[in-house]
Amino acid sequence: MEHEHIVTKFDKNLDKIKTSIVEMGGLVGLQLNDATAVLATFDAAEVERIKTYDRIVNGLNKDIHDRAEILIIRRQPMALDLRQTLVPINIAGELERIGDHAKSTAKRAHIVQGAAALDMIGAMSAVVQAMLADVLRAYVDGDIELAAKVRKRDEEVDALNKQLISSVIETLSRLPENAECLIHITLISRNFERIGDHICNIARYVHQIATGEDLKASV
Amino acid sequence: MADPIITARNVNIFYGAAQAIFDVDLDILPNKVTALIGPSGCGKSTFLRAINRMNDLIPICRIEGDLKIAGQDIYSPSVDVVALRAQVGMVFQKPNPFPKSIFENVAYGLKIHKLTSSKTELQDRVEWSLKSAGLWSEVADRLNQPGNSLSGGQQQRLCIARAIAVEPKVILMDEPCSALDPIATAVVEELIDNLRKDYTIVIVTHSMQQAARISQRTAFFHLGTLVEFGDTKTVFTTPADERTQNYITGRIG
Repeated sequence: MEHEHIVTKFDKNLDKIKTSIVEMGGLVGLQLNDATAVLATFDAAEVERIKTYDRIVNGLNKDIHDRAEILIIRRQPMALDLRQTLVPINIAGELERIGDHAKSTAKRAHIVQGAAALDMIGAMSAVVQAMLADVLRAYVDGDIELAAKVRKRDEEVDALNKQLISSVIETLSRLPENAECLIHITLISRNFERIGDHICNIARYVHQIATGEDLKASV
Repeated sequence: MADPIITARNVNIFYGAAQAIFDVDLDILPNKVTALIGPSGCGKSTFLRAINRMNDLIPICRIEGDLKIAGQDIYSPSVDVVALRAQVGMVFQKPNPFPKSIFENVAYGLKIHKLTSSKTELQDRVEWSLKSAGLWSEVADRLNQPGNSLSGGQQQRLCIARAIAVEPKVILMDEPCSALDPIATAVVEELIDNLRKDYTIVIVTHSMQQAARISQRTAFFHLGTLVEFGDTKTVFTTPADERTQNYITGRIG
């Protein structure tokens, strides 16, 4: 259990960074959910709306940078405080990239309508959305065990991606006229596979904040 | 890793019946800056002063345990305390130049320890000390003016010049920048970093940022005990003890 700072504003400043990360994560989660929905039922207006999330996500990313900068100037954080100030900048970067992948997915929605592989994409999306929710909870609670479970779960996403690519290769030989749709399905699958990697990086950062240990080069 | 120049084993220090330091074991490495940090009353200054027997001046102060410099027990009855203090110089919180000229402030220790054999040698030694303390260019044309006519930062560097004139092994510093403005502090910090090539420095500071900036090793004292001692980067990034973390991050522990 962390003790409170003598200067109560210090806690408030750190809390604001945490709140911004959670807000950004929530928005990115919504982007993912909505991008998956338009794959099943295309809606041009909805795709445009998903694209606009991007600007809000970018704004929150800048907000987190600004808050960290001010905190460093005012408080000169050390140890845990320093990690709680600096590491969210990296987490925000990972979240922003997840948002980019969600946007890229939504932009391909009109090409892949009705594709058989969409079930598998839906399954990948469900796993990464659950991973994102868990990693945000792990970040808020400093729960390194939950963060480790999130990292482990990325294997499910990788397996689904592999399975989908095999299925696409098989379908391409049978139905070459569907090549455009199948290529876009592959790229969407690749988006979700990368999203899984970004969430894993966030889980490593959660571990780093709590322990000071940098897992980036390992599991 | 080099052998430690200062070794403390089971050091206990008492002021009358009150114990100020409890069983401290500490190895201080040569040519490093070691910072002693901790809240007021934690015993860091008491421990610092034990290293050149400044506590001898307090009649009720008593020390137990082993405290050695370069292998020699500094509390052995055979130790000449005046000679010890030439080996272990001290710079205090408030600059304390003697009420003498700039030249005489630096020459004083050289004269009482008879470390020079001629006037020219004395002058050379004073000049070398003032240059080493980064003060020569500012005072070369006014060596006969009183030491206390200098600014606070210059006076502190004069005190450092006075300490290094006798070529000590160790320089102890008790919050040497607490009375200085940020620019004078930066000059003294730069000087400390330069001096560690030739001396071992032990510094007490209340500024965590200063300890992080200038030291290679940091010791955290709390309620008279040495809680944590290690590489400065580790102490300020991933301290092992929760009490250290609470102190350096300003948390209520």
